Order: sequence, then C-alpha cells, then structure tokens
Amino acid sequence: MNANVAASSAMETSAVTGSVTLAAVWNRFWFTPADGRPLALLRIGTASLAIVLWWSYAPDVLSWFGPAGILPADAVQQWRSPAGFSLFDAATTSASLRVLFGITGIAFAALLVGLGTPVVAPVAALLWASLLHRGPMLVGPADDCLAVLLWCLAIGPAGQHISVDGWLRDRAGRPAPGPTLRAGITWGLLQVHASAIAAAAVLSQLKGDVWWNGSAAWFLAARPAGRLLDLTPLLVRSEYLTNFVTHGVTAFEIFYAIGLWCMPTQRLVARVGLVAWPLIGVLAGEPWWGIAMGLFTVPLAFRR
Amino acid sequence: MPAPGPARPPAGAAPSEAVRAAVTAVLAVYLLGLVLSIAGNTGSGSSALVRTLKDRLFSPWMVPPWLDLGFDYRLTYGGPEDADHGLEVRRFDAAGRDAVRLPGGLTGERGARWRRLARSIALAAEDSDRDGLLAAAIGKGMFDELGSEDLSVRVVRTPLADRGASALPTVQAYSARVRMVGGEVQLLRSEARAEVAPLVRPAAGGNPKPEEAAR
Repeated sequence: MNANVAASSAMETSAVTGSVTLAAVWNRFWFTPADGRPLALLRIGTASLAIVLWWSYAPDVLSWFGPAGILPADAVQQWRSPAGFSLFDAATTSASLRVLFGITGIAFAALLVGLGTPVVAPVAALLWASLLHRGPMLVGPADDCLAVLLWCLAIGPAGQHISVDGWLRDRAGRPAPGPTLRAGITWGLLQVHASAIAAAAVLSQLKGDVWWNGSAAWFLAARPAGRLLDLTPLLVRSEYLTNFVTHGVTAFEIFYAIGLWCMPTQRLVARVGLVAWPLIGVLAGEPWWGIAMGLFTVPLAFRR
Repeated sequence: MPAPGPARPPAGAAPSEAVRAAVTAVLAVYLLGLVLSIAGNTGSGSSALVRTLKDRLFSPWMVPPWLDLGFDYRLTYGGPEDADHGLEVRRFDAAGRDAVRLPGGLTGERGARWRRLARSIALAAEDSDRDGLLAAAIGKGMFDELGSEDLSVRVVRTPLADRGASALPTVQAYSARVRMVGGEVQLLRSEARAEVAPLVRPAAGGNPKPEEAAR
C-alpha cells in the first residue's frame, strides 16, 4: 500500500515535473525575445525571390487571367478548393488586372527595401496568396514556400534593420529596437516549417521505389525541360554515383528535419541547408524552391 | 513640462501571462492545423477522420492565406506524371499546321508554369469533377487567337527513359476537341487507342480467336 502511494506520489511528481518542463521548453522556444537583424536578411531574400516568381507571371498574366484569358475565374473557382479566395477574381478587366498585378509587384519591391514593412508585409502575403488562388494549376513548390515565408515576415519585425524604415528611424533619432518577442515567434515558426517541410518531403519520397533503389537522381536529371545543369552524362556513367546522389538527398533531408532541433547541430545544419537546398533544387529542376527552402534557415544560420 | 507617462517595458521584456496564454492558444491551433494539412494533403490520400477534421475546422481559415499545404514534394517517382508535359492547341481541321505549342521555347519559371498547366489537364482526366474543365476553358480562350471555333487541345508528354536507355518519343497524354455549338462550348474527349479496352467477341467455342482479341 505504502509502496503504491509512494509510486503514485512519485508519478504525480514526475507528471507535474514533466508538465512544468514541457511548459518551460515551450515558453523558452516561443517566448524568448530574438534579434531582428537576421529577419532583415530573410526579408531581403524573400522579397527578391517574390519578385522573381511574380515576374514569371508577368508576360502571361493577361493570357491566363484576362477577360479573354484561358483560365477564366469561373472555371478556376470550380477547380480550386471551395474555401479558396482571390482578390484577382474581382479584376475582370485588363486594366484592373494590370493594376492589381502591379500593386503586388510594388508591395514586393517595398518589402525588399523595407519601406512601411509592418503594413507592406501582410499586404504582400495576402496579394501573393490571392495570385496563387487565381491559378492554382500554375503553382509550384517555390510558390508554396514563398507564401509561408511571407506570412512569417508579416508576423515578425522584419523591417527594423537594413531598411528604409530603419533609416527613417535613425534619422528621427529614435533608438534601434533590441530583441523582440515577435522576432522570437517568427524564428520559431520558420524552424517548425523548415523541419516540417523537409520531413513531409522525405516521407513522400520514401513512398516511391526510385528513392529506395537509388535511381531517383537519374529521373530528376533526365527531365530535359527546366534543368539548369545536364547531369545525365555523369550519372549514366556510374550507377553508384546515381545511387549516392539519391541517397544523399534523402539522408540530408532527414538530417535537416531532425538536426534543426538539436542545439549543438542547429547552426551547422542551418548553414549546410543554405547550400544543400539550392543544390537539390537545381537537381530537381526547381531551383527557386531550393532557394526558398534555404531561406527558411537564414535566421538560424546567422543567429548570434 | 508634461508629466512622464508610465515607463514602457523594453521591447525584449517577458510578456504577461495573459499574452503568453493567448499566443500559446493561437500557436497550438495553428500547429495542429499544420499537422493535419500535412497528413491530409498527401498523394496517398487521407483518412476520413483527418479529412473531416481538416475540412471542417481548419481549411476554412487555412486555405485563403495559402497555408493548407501538404508539402509532399516527392520530386519524382520516375512515373509518367513526373515527366515533362506540354500543351498543343491547333485548329481541328488543320493537322500540324498553325499549332500553338506551350511552353515551346519558354524557359525558367515561366516555362515551368505552362508545363504545370499541361500536366494538370492530363491528370484531371482521372478526376471526374475536373475532367475537361481546363481543356474546355483553354480551347475557348484560344478561339480568337487561332481564328476558329473548332480546336484540338492536346497534352503531350516526354516519357522518362531508364538510366542508359535511349530517349523515348513524345506521347499523347490527353486530347480533346473543343468547339462552339449553338453558343455553348462542347468538349469531345479523344481516347488514346492504347487506353481503350479491346472489343472482344467470344468465339463459339468460348475463348476469342487471337486475331479478334488483337483487333
């Protein structure tokens, strides 16, 4: 009886200690103020990527979404999720479509230079989501990741440094803000998404035989359209090299998804990710996706 | 001289319990939504439980900001759907002539968007809710450009060859005739020969004759 009471008491203590520890870990992870400077780097990188991806729509925006376009709003509304919503649906004339598309580009340019960032960042995220909903069948992985990055920037104080906002603040003689809670939450969200995306990608890949038999790298390299680098002459010569590249991609993604959570390896993993993701993107014929994935780890790679 | 106001806490000060509780609740709900989005948006499908929870509680607010994402970036399975796709639209009565081919020579992300569009048309053929939707819209959108209200919309695919094998010829992944009839767009899907089940007439003895089965 006494032993049971003691065990029960020990379990209660252990449960209480466990919940206190969990709460402490949660609070430390999400509520530790963080430096806004790495977010400035992330803002510049994300806005640059946004401009590139936005520009890829520019030559065809009227052909796709214009009044006589091949993707009329009613057909797209039938195609997309019922909860989907796009401001671009309201642009029913060529002029209004051009204006809205132009405003999206201006928002990205303002985000790049850090002008009115607290307002511009959520507006840019909203306009980008709207553009993607206007033509979901055109969307690629880089577009998805950009949407997540833009919403992260909308939460964090991304315009405090290396920005017009910062310059105006300095000119007015106001002090630069120190570490903030919002920056800490943004860092946390970036880390969670970076790890979750890598984990989801690797789980998806491992459902395919080609990722187990080591031939996936060949099938990635063998697609002629969109590739920046033709690796087929190299891969055709050596099966082992093809296997090595395939397994290397999988191993890196696992290493990345887990390694971001271990303090001793976090910065190393983040810095490796800055190089490895763009390389995987080039191999996969999705270079902008590789860059977007690299951007997720910018704050962790440059943390002080 | 105005009286000094209450001292503002520094930007990095610890938040109050109420703020922490509110932010924790928001984060917990979002993270649950993220997990359900990943579990519910895979190429393997999802369970009824995950689908219902996600669709009813999370999709209404995660879809509009484009956050209802599965991130199942498999990159390739080496299958037909992972190959490059292209779109070809021409007048129905003008075989091969005056065809609009996309992405054609377009490169980079612009070309990739056209390839995704072409692939979506081909993959939608297996989705009863979406089959023909894009092909009809594209055909209608190109009536003026091609000067005809009777067009052929095709999706071509460049199959992926195994390592060391020679390149495979382009195949047709989807084909439909799109025309205007009585002010309405009509779509007539053409089935590829290989995809149509052979018409087999059983011989008197039971099994079909080989030449009949092959016809």
